[in-house]
Amino acid sequence: MPFPEFWEWVQALPLSEYIGFTYWFPLLESIHVLAIGFVVGSILMVDLRLLGVAAVAYAASRVTRELVPWTWGAFVVAVITGTGMFMTRATAYVENPAFQMKLILLILACANMALFQFRTFRDVALWDVGTVPPPAARAAGAVSLALWAGVVLAGRWTGHII
Amino acid sequence: MIEDFAYALAESRARELAVYLLGNVPGLPPITQSFHILGIACVTGSSIFLNLRILGIAVPSQNVSEMIGRLMPWTWWALLVNALTGSIFVIARPLRYYFNPVFAIKFSLLVPALVLAFVIHYLSRREPGYWEISQGRRLALGAIALVSLVLWVGVVLAGRWIAYSEYLFFPE
Repeated sequence: MPFPEFWEWVQALPLSEYIGFTYWFPLLESIHVLAIGFVVGSILMVDLRLLGVAAVAYAASRVTRELVPWTWGAFVVAVITGTGMFMTRATAYVENPAFQMKLILLILACANMALFQFRTFRDVALWDVGTVPPPAARAAGAVSLALWAGVVLAGRWTGHII
Repeated sequence: MIEDFAYALAESRARELAVYLLGNVPGLPPITQSFHILGIACVTGSSIFLNLRILGIAVPSQNVSEMIGRLMPWTWWALLVNALTGSIFVIARPLRYYFNPVFAIKFSLLVPALVLAFVIHYLSRREPGYWEISQGRRLALGAIALVSLVLWVGVVLAGRWIAYSEYLFFPE
């Protein structure tokens, strides 16, 4: 892994040691799980609407606009709490294959979201109130579900390898 | 009674099997735990968001009665998944959980959360629009939603703290 000195420096910070040796680690971890519940729970509702299998009585744009801010808000909380845990053993986490896989899946999930937001969602007016969205939107929903489930699995696996 | 059950479980073949599976099937613990977390996400996406909607905090365009009928089955099915995925760990180490005060706290929060979720769902099914017919019922539903929200958040946090009970109950 590049920058080994950097990760060692992060790990040796007083904050990192404080988190690692006190109740702060489980505190951050429990909030991390709660945040994951909100990230996946909110994006699940959006994805199922995009797949045309749930909440079809509501416009896809409405469902998306009301829920995606929750996804991002919870995601920020998950990143902050996750960073706090990462700092305590940064050198081990960067070498951890499950953690590396988690980051790759996260990047893919964000890319999928961006692609949907800036390509497929632009002509949402054409399919907003129809029951089943077009194939591109359904694909975005299905890919998102698979990627977020993968993020959860890789994230949980990370703790078993450390 | 629960104590007898925990001790009986500790001596059982079921325990041997659970210990064997968790120790020998590659990836079984993290995979099972991931399903448990995905179950938590489904409960969040159904019951927690329903409570937030009732309190006027989330998804304002969605109708409360319609949400109850659409989302509550997700809560029940997800809780079934969580009961099954959680059970294998309890069966593998029954005494560890029986004597863990955080495990007791989690279930003390879970049981009232289940009762409130059942009350919301049952009354709405028996009488469509039950919760929106009068101001009194709307207020009652708001109070139930607030309490449920706190309980569900507590269940999730306490669940993660089971592994760290010594931080809370055995300070050095």
